[in-house]
Amino acid sequence: MLRIHPVLIAIPALAALPFALVYMGLTTTSATEVVIFAMAAMGLNLLVGYTGLVSFGHGAWFGMGAYTAGLVALSLPGTPFLLPVLASLVLAAVVSAGFGMLMLRRSGVYFSLMTLALSALAFTVAFRWTDVTGGENGLGGIQRPVWGALDLNDGWSFYWLVAAIALVVIFVLWRLVTSPLGAVLEAIRENETRAVALGYDVLRYKLAAFMMSACVTALAGSLLVFKNRLTSAEPMSVIFSGELLAMVVIGGMRGYLGPALGALFYIMFREYLSIYTDNWLLWFGLIFMGFVFFAREGLAGLGRQFIERFFPGPETGAAMADRKTEVMPLPPMLSGTGDGGAVLEARGIGKSFGAFRAVDAVQLKVMDRTLHALIGPNGAGKTTTFNLLTGMVPPDEGTVTLGGASLVGVLPNKAAQLGIGRSFQITSLFPDLSVRENVRLAVQASHNGRMNPWRSVRQFDEIEDETGQMLRWVGLAGIEDARASSLSYGGQRLLDLALALASRPRLLLADEPLAGLSAAERERVGNLLKQVSESLPVLLVEHDIDRVFQLSDHVTVMNEGKVLIDGTVAEVRNDDRVREIYIGSGTTEVAEMAHHAVGDTVLAKIEGINVHYGKSHILQDVSFDIREGEILALLGRNGAGKSTVLKALLGIAPVTSGSIELAGRQLVGLESAAIARAGVGYVPQGRGLFAGMTVRQNLELGRIRRRTGAGSHWSEDEILEFFPRLGERMDTDADRLSGGEQQMAAVARALSGDTRLLLLDEPFEGLAPAVVEQLFVSFDKLRDKLSIVIVDHNLDLALALSDRTVALETGKVFHEGPSRELAQDIDLRRKVLWL
Amino acid sequence: MQTALFLSQLLNGLLDGFYYLLIALGLSLIFSLGGILNLAHGAFFAVGAYMAVVLTPYVGFFGAVLIGPVIVAGMGAVTERLLFTKFYRIDPLYSLLLTFGLAMVLEQSMRWIFGAAPLAYNIPDILRGQVFFGEFIYSRYRIFTIAVAVVVVAALWVLLNRTAFGRIVKAGIQNPDILGTLGISLRPYLSAVAAIGIGLAGLAGILMAPIQPVHPAMGGSVLVAAFVVVVIGGLGSFWGVVWAAMLVGLVKGLMGALDLTAWSLASIYLLMFLVLLVRPRGLMGERILRFE
Repeated sequence: MLRIHPVLIAIPALAALPFALVYMGLTTTSATEVVIFAMAAMGLNLLVGYTGLVSFGHGAWFGMGAYTAGLVALSLPGTPFLLPVLASLVLAAVVSAGFGMLMLRRSGVYFSLMTLALSALAFTVAFRWTDVTGGENGLGGIQRPVWGALDLNDGWSFYWLVAAIALVVIFVLWRLVTSPLGAVLEAIRENETRAVALGYDVLRYKLAAFMMSACVTALAGSLLVFKNRLTSAEPMSVIFSGELLAMVVIGGMRGYLGPALGALFYIMFREYLSIYTDNWLLWFGLIFMGFVFFAREGLAGLGRQFIERFFPGPETGAAMADRKTEVMPLPPMLSGTGDGGAVLEARGIGKSFGAFRAVDAVQLKVMDRTLHALIGPNGAGKTTTFNLLTGMVPPDEGTVTLGGASLVGVLPNKAAQLGIGRSFQITSLFPDLSVRENVRLAVQASHNGRMNPWRSVRQFDEIEDETGQMLRWVGLAGIEDARASSLSYGGQRLLDLALALASRPRLLLADEPLAGLSAAERERVGNLLKQVSESLPVLLVEHDIDRVFQLSDHVTVMNEGKVLIDGTVAEVRNDDRVREIYIGSGTTEVAEMAHHAVGDTVLAKIEGINVHYGKSHILQDVSFDIREGEILALLGRNGAGKSTVLKALLGIAPVTSGSIELAGRQLVGLESAAIARAGVGYVPQGRGLFAGMTVRQNLELGRIRRRTGAGSHWSEDEILEFFPRLGERMDTDADRLSGGEQQMAAVARALSGDTRLLLLDEPFEGLAPAVVEQLFVSFDKLRDKLSIVIVDHNLDLALALSDRTVALETGKVFHEGPSRELAQDIDLRRKVLWL
Repeated sequence: MQTALFLSQLLNGLLDGFYYLLIALGLSLIFSLGGILNLAHGAFFAVGAYMAVVLTPYVGFFGAVLIGPVIVAGMGAVTERLLFTKFYRIDPLYSLLLTFGLAMVLEQSMRWIFGAAPLAYNIPDILRGQVFFGEFIYSRYRIFTIAVAVVVVAALWVLLNRTAFGRIVKAGIQNPDILGTLGISLRPYLSAVAAIGIGLAGLAGILMAPIQPVHPAMGGSVLVAAFVVVVIGGLGSFWGVVWAAMLVGLVKGLMGALDLTAWSLASIYLLMFLVLLVRPRGLMGERILRFE
């Protein structure tokens, strides 16, 4: 963000420009061209750099502005100027409004492709509609007016006029960019989903940006027609649109005046290089590619990096330490206005995904001023229920009401406007904006001035005040100016909470707010949530059962899509059924296997593994070993990191430190294909079979690259001996198999390559008991030839099948020992897996 | 006579459809596997045409048809290695910008080497003249090109659907992570697919060279037409692209037959715009959430 008002930079720059260029051998015409292209590029950048919508067709607006001004000028008597220019602005506004309403429903690449189509269309029309546009020859004979003493036919006079207009444009655009509307545009660019979740009707904002961008570029075009006294279809070509985009990228998308710099660069490059070679555009193209490849922030970005090297900004690390973290009282903006009673009510909601009943006849009531927790094991349907409650997914049946108003089928931004505040499980912030800007956007969403395009954001006292309140309360005071992406993981979670609450919701929905936090951070966030629940109702989905019981007033337990029990903490905690779904019953329908005496030869040694997903420290110093011929169970509560350990073994999770040695080979740092070839077989959760291919073809894919001798070798016949059912299904499409057959096929595919270590991720999920038993027996037989690591939330099965268990809790190894102990001793199980 | 003229215009349109198909298939393949929309595809088409001009004096026309696409494919593999690799997992818009720049650079390079003026390049003697089907007359060369295009598309279909290579590519399109855990590294396949896709564009250029002026900017309109086809047919669908190419070709032919050639291009751009608006995944494509 510029500290100095850009007009203060622009005035001397515009004043000096013609003199500088003339001194270098160019003319005022070149200077005028620089200013015109700078305007067009800045107009384009409003869309590209600020809103994040890349337009490949902005030349269309440029050309349209030129043609409109030209045609109006020619059809009026005398030498008009203002009317043609105004006409081009009006037409651009109308046309961009029309097309914008159609096009802006699509984002990203589809939007960009549409601009490409539109531009090609506009060019063809301009080229062919010879009656109006003059076709190939273009439109000529436009004249510049003489206003009393001011003869605009003089190069200098015309330059000063264009410069004056440019100054006005710079001023107006700056007001826009620093207004509440401008802030929302940047929010859309950074994270459109979160902007919607805060309650913004993003289509309107995008339309405003689109129209403004089109008008500014059209204005530039209309000035060009007066400069050249003619126009053709050429500015409407895709090539010219590309040159405009190149100016924006080279100049710098994130700087306000960056595109202007890009325009200057372009003109100078063209003027100077064309002296030496006809192919200056080639070198320009290479430079453009260079910037996209190496310096996406453009010249302005390079400048900023240069400045920061010599005048570094405040260190966030130190600032984080200075952060004030005392307990603050709840900010006045959050004092609830409720009268007690039920705030959120879900009656009989249900959802099926195909044949799978994810949520079944769920009844839920969240009372005012309570902390209500929703818990349940993996696959219980909590996340789906949560999505049904927030309106992200429409229920198949049932009703959801918030204070009486129905939430069914309501779009996320409307849900926010009705009073839903939502904090996200995966951090969803506006990464490049500062902490303060993030919170301000959330506060702004419920204020009337949110679409104001003129006043500075800082002039809205109420918004500033509430932003400050939120920042202080949540504990981020002192680092307001740090970029959101530079905060520690804990800091980001606090910011996420602040965003959810800053729009003063009627109800807070918190999705795993404690996930990935250290004990101290959990304490802090937990206390904040408790404080909030004294004023507003809070519905919380969490896996940290200890803390849930500590904090909550009311608990709903779900299992297999249904509500198991709904009551107070005491009721739920002591209920046997609840305990059972978490730690199993201690009995299993499948007879316990006779365990072989497992030798002590170590097959794989895992030491000090750390995995980070961005800032989140998922696995901490995980160490254990896998012995030859054993079946090892990896157990733990949800979010403990079991799947992540498997992924680290496979090379598909980012391991930041530690070592994994398999039969003498170091696996950390290898790509997943190499690890697979070293003898690691994988049966993913959900099976991961390739659709549109037969079983035989799937097995072939498992075989092609893994016949390396790095493990026990299974011929196809041997594999089919294990899974006779598959023999009949070899030529059936993989997606047509039953669940059990798919599971067998997935295991068979893993065994098709030479394997010494087989990783099974939730192999029993969704299978009928008879099939489970079959698989169980198969796995048991496999242990002769290889070692197996199994992750499964069906504890009884996993314990019965395995020889040893490694238990994880919040990314750390917590317990390691023979499975039999855990299988038989319920108290030990409770200690390790429950509380 | 009228019907014959009408038919020949339609057939010309269909022929155009085959060119678009060759280019669009390559575009669609590169996109399906790596997620990169190659805006330089039209430029490679032009490179192919220039290859024809350059190689023919040495190896004859048929030699050029055989060797030219291989050279262009090689360029494609190099492009993938040097440029695309960095852009696979980041915001797809940067790959659009990169390939746009590449197109600019390629076009200007050709301008530098060969000049901006169109080069003369003629149909080889052996393929000149007409073929008569009763009252219906059609150019021998055009029939040759349709034949080549059909053979190539069929070969591509066989490659994608009946070979292990094709299965790996399809698996990689569905789920690249799982493929890694099967010990198959996707990298060589990404290069191979880029080479094939770009080689196809080169082939189309060589085939077009005798019947279209060969100049550096010839790739421009072909590129947009190819995008139209891929968008209408659906990003990531083989048959969708085939049907869409035929459809676009027919529309163009129809416009020609109705004497509205001037508007044929405009009509297909409008068609692309409408498809993106209403159903961006096209007739038979899949939803790509990264792009929405």
